[in-house]
Amino acid sequence: MAGFARALAVGLHGVHGRVVEVEAHLAQGLPGLVITGLPDAAVVQARDRVRAAVLNSGQRWPDQRITVGLGPAWLPKHGTNFDLAVAAAILVASGAAPMVSLDGLVLIGELGLDGRIRAVRGVFPAVAAGAKVGLRRYVVPVGNWSEAALVPGVDVVGRRTLRGVLALLRGEEPPADDDAAEPPAAPAAGHPSGRGAGDLADVAGQEIGRRAVEVAAAGGHHLALFGPPGAGKTMLAERLPGVLPPLGDEAAVEVTAVHSVAGVLPAGRGLVREAPYQAPHHTATVAALVGGGSGLARPGAVSLAHHGVLFLDESPEFSPRALDALRQPVECGEVVLARSGGAVRYPARVQLVLAANPCPCASAAGDRACTCTPTARRRYLGRISGPLLDRIDLRVMLLPVASAALYADLDRPETTEVVADRVRGARLAGAERWGHHGWTSNAAVPGPALRAEWRLSRAITGAAARAVDSGELSARGYDRVLRIAWTLADLAGRSAPDPGDVNEALELRRGLVTA
Amino acid sequence: MSGDTEWIAAERLAWVALSRLVEPGKRSIVAATAGGAHALLQGVLSGARDRVSRSLRARLDGVDPWARAQADIAAAARAGARAITPVDAEWPTDAFAALAPLAEAEQLDVAPPLCLWARGPLALTGAVERTISIVGARAATAYGKHVAGDIAFGLAERGWVVVSGGAYGIDGAAHRGALAGGGPTIAVLAGGVDVPYPLAHAGLLDRIAEEGLLISEVPLGESPQRHRFLSRNRLVAALGAGLVVVEAGARSGTSVTAERAHQLGRVLMAVPGAVTSGLSVGTHRLIRDFGATLVTSATDVVEEVGPIGAAEWATPAADGDPAEWDAAMPPDGARQPDRAALSPPLRAVLEAIPAGRVVTVEDVALAGRLAPTEVRRALPDLRMRGFVRAVDGGYRLTEAGLGPPTFALDRPTPPPGPTRAAESSRAAESSRAAESSRAAVRLPPRALRRASDRTTGAFRDSVQPPFRDAHLESEPDSAPASERARASGPAGRSEPARGPEPAEPRDG
Repeated sequence: MAGFARALAVGLHGVHGRVVEVEAHLAQGLPGLVITGLPDAAVVQARDRVRAAVLNSGQRWPDQRITVGLGPAWLPKHGTNFDLAVAAAILVASGAAPMVSLDGLVLIGELGLDGRIRAVRGVFPAVAAGAKVGLRRYVVPVGNWSEAALVPGVDVVGRRTLRGVLALLRGEEPPADDDAAEPPAAPAAGHPSGRGAGDLADVAGQEIGRRAVEVAAAGGHHLALFGPPGAGKTMLAERLPGVLPPLGDEAAVEVTAVHSVAGVLPAGRGLVREAPYQAPHHTATVAALVGGGSGLARPGAVSLAHHGVLFLDESPEFSPRALDALRQPVECGEVVLARSGGAVRYPARVQLVLAANPCPCASAAGDRACTCTPTARRRYLGRISGPLLDRIDLRVMLLPVASAALYADLDRPETTEVVADRVRGARLAGAERWGHHGWTSNAAVPGPALRAEWRLSRAITGAAARAVDSGELSARGYDRVLRIAWTLADLAGRSAPDPGDVNEALELRRGLVTA
Repeated sequence: MSGDTEWIAAERLAWVALSRLVEPGKRSIVAATAGGAHALLQGVLSGARDRVSRSLRARLDGVDPWARAQADIAAAARAGARAITPVDAEWPTDAFAALAPLAEAEQLDVAPPLCLWARGPLALTGAVERTISIVGARAATAYGKHVAGDIAFGLAERGWVVVSGGAYGIDGAAHRGALAGGGPTIAVLAGGVDVPYPLAHAGLLDRIAEEGLLISEVPLGESPQRHRFLSRNRLVAALGAGLVVVEAGARSGTSVTAERAHQLGRVLMAVPGAVTSGLSVGTHRLIRDFGATLVTSATDVVEEVGPIGAAEWATPAADGDPAEWDAAMPPDGARQPDRAALSPPLRAVLEAIPAGRVVTVEDVALAGRLAPTEVRRALPDLRMRGFVRAVDGGYRLTEAGLGPPTFALDRPTPPPGPTRAAESSRAAESSRAAESSRAAVRLPPRALRRASDRTTGAFRDSVQPPFRDAHLESEPDSAPASERARASGPAGRSEPARGPEPAEPRDG
């Protein structure tokens, strides 16, 4: 007896999903299962997983020639999330459940040999892609239920076992161990990715560091923090996401999708609304930073930090190759990874924060106690390639701990809340000014626009122009000073920068004279 | 005041009228207009018998010069252009200051222009503070055009205004490079500013008129004529702080421009080419025989001209009314950084800087009990004015920054705390500083004229800002030298003229 059934699943290509039809055809012939439609190794192995899962769920395995087609057949299929749809199509084709039950139903999940459904990566972008083409009903693993439910306008059911799914298809009472009607509650609160929710006010004595963080947040500028050990570079970088405004709807969806693909989305939480924070160790490889892997590349730290902060502590210690690989993503806001299995595109609009000791000896007493030769100093910072450093707007030198303590008396640190409030106002002012050009922040404004339409008078830019002429500032650096000056004006509520803003911008870029 | 306004309006009209009667550059006109344009024109109309008046009268040709001047101004306004005369605030007095002496000394027809017609949003006064002229062959090679564009682009990026002649070849490449670099550019035309010449550059010239400035000595509608190109070259040379020659043949109009720049004391620079290239013969000769500096990039050019520009910025970068900047300028002869001219916030920071060591922003903030942001907002400014210098690890007071103290002035009381010590040590050094401060930064005369880019367009009308009236009121000789330099045409040309030449207007 021949049989046929069609189920729906979603294939992922980076963060972009595409609905895949999973067809099963049962015919006379040598019993066996063939999967067609460019499956990768994981999909081919579904053959054995599905058979074991079906048998262990108490179902009969059809002793027929089974052909499973994944269409469109030209699209390469990856991963294990087709298992559930393959099993459902075979069972329906063999008459275990009515054909109509699969109409418009998307099934996503990996099967264990015992019939359990395991959570998979990328469920959020998969469901979002299905919703975009009008598919409303989804069955997903329980572990992915909450993230799938984040997509507006869809009807999602999470199931634990293949038996539970079969009951659903037959319209029977669900088995007692798999009858949840709601996604499981979130585990007790606790910050994901180990981010300490420290307050900016904790960083006492480092006024310049806090100011730089505020300016970086307000204008979307990349930031380099130089300073001796213990000066608070890491503390400052960790506090930058807290100062950044919460993600808007579109940004939140993008970030959630990348995190889902990477499998780092915590269960039971809504869309990612806080700016993400990634701080890879300096031994990170190119693949870890920008994404990679054989077959089809997976997102790297730069994509996981999309719309957030990528912090590279001890940046001169990173391999030059890894640092240079960041240049293109940082410039374009996305990374395109081409592999044999196809090219994928991941978003990578990050705010880069570099931290470095000013020299290899890194005396805690600060630069004045440095015992390095000038050559050694130069070579140390020279490890951060010029082109990358050139893209960094703000470069500040933090005070050594002793001076910071001295200065702490006078310092009146503001809390993250106060600063974030000012940053929000500044972002609004910037968005209002550049909005119709499509530039999202001051850091994104192209140089020619700063020098033509938004040109500032000579009386205002005098100090910066002089720095250019004396060779201290490159022409690109001049543009960066102007961008910072606009941010400073936004923070102060001025409609345009005044000479003081340009002066402060110069100071905030001065960082290391040798750099 | 209204009497002055009237007087200026009449004088202005007279300059416009005269410019119709005299071919550009005629040296005889320098002496003739020493007493003002209005006086000369009145003389012409009432039958004065000197040679200049007679020849001007011959050119009147029965037309009422006043009415024609009015008509010229009205026509210009319709075409979006304006007249700039020596009594206008927009008149670049310093740029033209060397022309009259040169005309006298060398007996050359390089007199300053009588009137400039301008089309474009750029204010000429503000623009000519940081200008570089770039000229070269019309039949330029691809190499020459590339280099000209590249240098102009770099200059524009650094905030310099590029001046050229709007012609084919190097000129066009320079204008395009400057526009691409986001900077304004000035084209000095031989015909009227509404006459696109060469015609193929009509689009380019329109773009310059939108973002920069087209200027010409001849009224609107006049066609460019051969001799006018030569006299135009003196303006190109005069308007730039330096002249870059990119490509020039053995004999060319470019060499005239270069010669004028040399005579006017402008920095002469030349771009080398292949020794086998006929179009680099002129530039190589400039380097070999005329002391032109070899330049290959915008950086080279700025390095060569930079010191002038750099010194210019030692002036207050104040915001607001141009008159106030002038008031804040140190009087002529006392050209050290003037702490009395500092705004109170700047002065508070300066007073707080501990002497005798390298200090960071935080050190200054701590010493003066100031917000570090305030200190950062001031330090680059103080550095620009020569009170502090940047060193590795921070800032250090210069001699000028150390003293002499100006405590007698209406300064806020010195802040308590650590500043005291700093001040006493400063007092100890003040006598030494007083001696040396005389040798501090020297300002070129150009620095005495400041205008903001933001005043762009403000000078389109003939309305004069009040500070200019004051200068015209005073007796030119009683004003300090710097004021005299500013006080425009009549005073600038009052040097005794040796034997006034008859104005022999060229025909055609």
